[in-house]
Amino acid sequence: MKRKGFRFYFRIYRKILAQDLKSKMSYRADFIISTIGMIFTNIAGFVSFWILFRSFPEVNGWGYHEILFLYGFSLISLTPVQCFFDNNWSLRIYVYSGDFIKYCFRPINLFFYYQSEVFDVKGLGQLAFGLGTLIYSWNRIGLPLTPVMILKTVIFLITASLIMIAVMNAAAATCFWITNSFYVMDLALKFKDYARYPITIFSPFFRFIFTFLMPIAFIAYYPSLVILRPDEVPLLSWLSPLFGCAFFWLSYKFWMYGAMKYSGTGS
Amino acid sequence: MKIKRYFALTRAGILESFQYRLAMLVMIAGNLLYLTVVYFFWKAVYSSSGSDVVNGMTFSDTLIYLVLATALFNFMEMYTVWEIGRNIQSGKIVLDLLKPMRYRSYLFWSYSGTLATQFVFTFLPTFIIVCIATKGAVPLGTNLFYFVISVVMAVIINYAVDFMTGTICLYTESIWGINIMKQVIVLLLSGATIPVAFFPEGMKKAVGYMPFQSIYNTPLTILLNEKPDFTEVFKALGTQAFWCAALLILSSLFWKVSLRKITVNGG
Amino acid sequence: MSEIIEIKNISKEFKVLNRHEGLKGSFKDLFSRDYKIVHAVDNISMSISQGEIVGYLGPNGTGKSTTIKMMTGVLEPTSGEILVNGNVPYRDRAKNAQDIGVVFGQRSQLWWALPLVESFKLLKDIYQISDDSYNSIMKLYKSLVDIEPLLHKPVRQMSLGQRTLSDILAAFLHDPKIVFLDEPTIGLDVSMKSRIRALIHALNKEKNTTVILTTHDMGDVDALCRRIVIIDKGKMLYDNDIGHLKGFFGSYRTLKIRPSGDIKEQSEKLKNELDRFSAAVSVDNEWISVLINEEKAKVMEVLGEIQKLHDVRDMKLEEISTEDVIKKIYEEGVE
Repeated sequence: MKRKGFRFYFRIYRKILAQDLKSKMSYRADFIISTIGMIFTNIAGFVSFWILFRSFPEVNGWGYHEILFLYGFSLISLTPVQCFFDNNWSLRIYVYSGDFIKYCFRPINLFFYYQSEVFDVKGLGQLAFGLGTLIYSWNRIGLPLTPVMILKTVIFLITASLIMIAVMNAAAATCFWITNSFYVMDLALKFKDYARYPITIFSPFFRFIFTFLMPIAFIAYYPSLVILRPDEVPLLSWLSPLFGCAFFWLSYKFWMYGAMKYSGTGS
Repeated sequence: MKIKRYFALTRAGILESFQYRLAMLVMIAGNLLYLTVVYFFWKAVYSSSGSDVVNGMTFSDTLIYLVLATALFNFMEMYTVWEIGRNIQSGKIVLDLLKPMRYRSYLFWSYSGTLATQFVFTFLPTFIIVCIATKGAVPLGTNLFYFVISVVMAVIINYAVDFMTGTICLYTESIWGINIMKQVIVLLLSGATIPVAFFPEGMKKAVGYMPFQSIYNTPLTILLNEKPDFTEVFKALGTQAFWCAALLILSSLFWKVSLRKITVNGG
Repeated sequence: MSEIIEIKNISKEFKVLNRHEGLKGSFKDLFSRDYKIVHAVDNISMSISQGEIVGYLGPNGTGKSTTIKMMTGVLEPTSGEILVNGNVPYRDRAKNAQDIGVVFGQRSQLWWALPLVESFKLLKDIYQISDDSYNSIMKLYKSLVDIEPLLHKPVRQMSLGQRTLSDILAAFLHDPKIVFLDEPTIGLDVSMKSRIRALIHALNKEKNTTVILTTHDMGDVDALCRRIVIIDKGKMLYDNDIGHLKGFFGSYRTLKIRPSGDIKEQSEKLKNELDRFSAAVSVDNEWISVLINEEKAKVMEVLGEIQKLHDVRDMKLEEISTEDVIKKIYEEGVE
């Protein structure tokens, strides 16, 4: 048997993706309605944001446009999890019905095989909103547009995405133990909404939790410090790419552990 | 006895939700954590604003409002749209339609068990904790009585809206898209995420003509009103009653018309 | 013959919560730590040779699928050894998966929205099947079944029978050493059942693939298996030739006769008259059935005796069916 390296998986993913897109075209009405739904979600998010900041012009020393920057940043970092890991939402259904077992018989990585099955185009709409917001607030704050800044932004966006993926993986994997992981995933999504605000609003205890246990502070706050407050970047911000990889790896292990444990019990 | 068979459904629902004990513990813990986040966020917002009362609401008013809104949401969310949508797609709806009760009632009472468990395990504890934690900021008087009436009507309105949205699934396969649109609109315009008091004037007026604020804003405003003014309360309850009746009739008509259309087409 | 599967004394235990009844009971369960151990599989050994078709039988929920899961590497046995094509399945699931194919009667493993041929192409990449082998197996498929109309049809639009057929073809695509078929004919009509059986038979012949077949349909067993393994409550009940199984109980045959006169009355008489043959007499609306143990009495003797005493208008002789034998084993076990 040939070794299955990155190129093998990349080729498989590309093929599955192409097929998936082709078949999506056959559900055009669904695609349009879902896209509208996604746009609605984003608009509603902005409206709430706007209503809130009409009454409160700043939070903990962070101004309107800075918070807007965090908002855009978190929207972009949500894109990969939405596009590539959306099958996590179906996991509890496969587990509940016992259909999950069918993923266990292929000679490739179980996690990869499961996630590869769905590519969610809607995530791209989110990306557009996020990019728009980020560029707008970037201009209003008057950040310089240098290659270094762009590189930093890209690296830290990737970091934030990894964290977001890790959080959702872990949340989805809880269904291997508690059957209905929907609440957990829903909760994780709700927390993500608060990841847009500076972590300094929390008490030290919760700051610890949101940094090390449920790492939502890495989704927008720590990474954006590097760009927004270059003079007061804490060590944690610089370490966040490392944390991103570590949390992703941990969530992967957790997911796989659950899958192996589960497949024994379901009939 | 006719009512007896409905309560049989309630009981089955309670039994089923007990089966997932870990899920319940996670839900309760997750909720507490979420409420803590809400608390810190608004504390930071209020402390940066420099004034104690914003838009006629104090920090503790806003907090109680939002915490109870979350609790109300958890207790009222019945995933009706998903249920109907999935039943339609799997064809199970044909079996449900054959049951000797109206589909709308059948669905509601099947879920009522969870409703009851949710009320006891999420809403009640939250309410008690809020009462104790805010040290008497929740007025305990006749307003409680009006609140209960208001919540009952809110449940009915919410269910009618859900049922109508679910009916749309007879026409399209896109459950996700339909559901997310409904959820986003209801949560924003009902004042579940931000109290209606914070809305700008024009928006407040527009929302006043819609049924959504009867779901969250009306019961919670009634609860927070220390000295309920009769005309005011009755106006609010009257509006709710109007929407109750209107939406029940509307959803029932919509369902009948759609069903006829579907049975003619042969599904 | 080489042994492709070697199982030595494997057992699997699960811990399950003791549930209580009623509203109060289930409230108690919320806090209960009252677990019990269930022995899903209890000390089972067997070895299976390359190219065999083995019928793996047993009532529902008796450990069949647990054993299959252990053989496919999804589940680790609590104790005992298991070797599949020289590999320990659970230790290297992916490597083991390359050697096996799995079909679940009601759960398609194909990509739901894709036409069958696209699923095949993806599997070709996933299992790293060479162009030559792919082409030759497709040629084989085309000679065995009318596959053309299926190839360009999305799986979700197929009938259950077409889907099962496709799933079986997909399972054999990478030329696995062993294929596990879990109730492949469940829910299918008679003609589809026989097409599926013919396909499995042909593929087994052509590729010398070992087939492990779980089923509740004795038609599958009769058509395909020479050897059957029966387990019940996690324990092995029977592992031998299907012919031997029949011999086991097969000294039994049923003689059916239709005498003139009232059938109920005649059967009452027969009961006494045939007492010395220790044959069991039963009756329905049309026939009197006489179950004869051939070790104790010859069928011809019994028939001769009956003819002497009664006016027999019609008769037929029935072998005991596999289904009856299995039923007997489930009910009585093997001594």
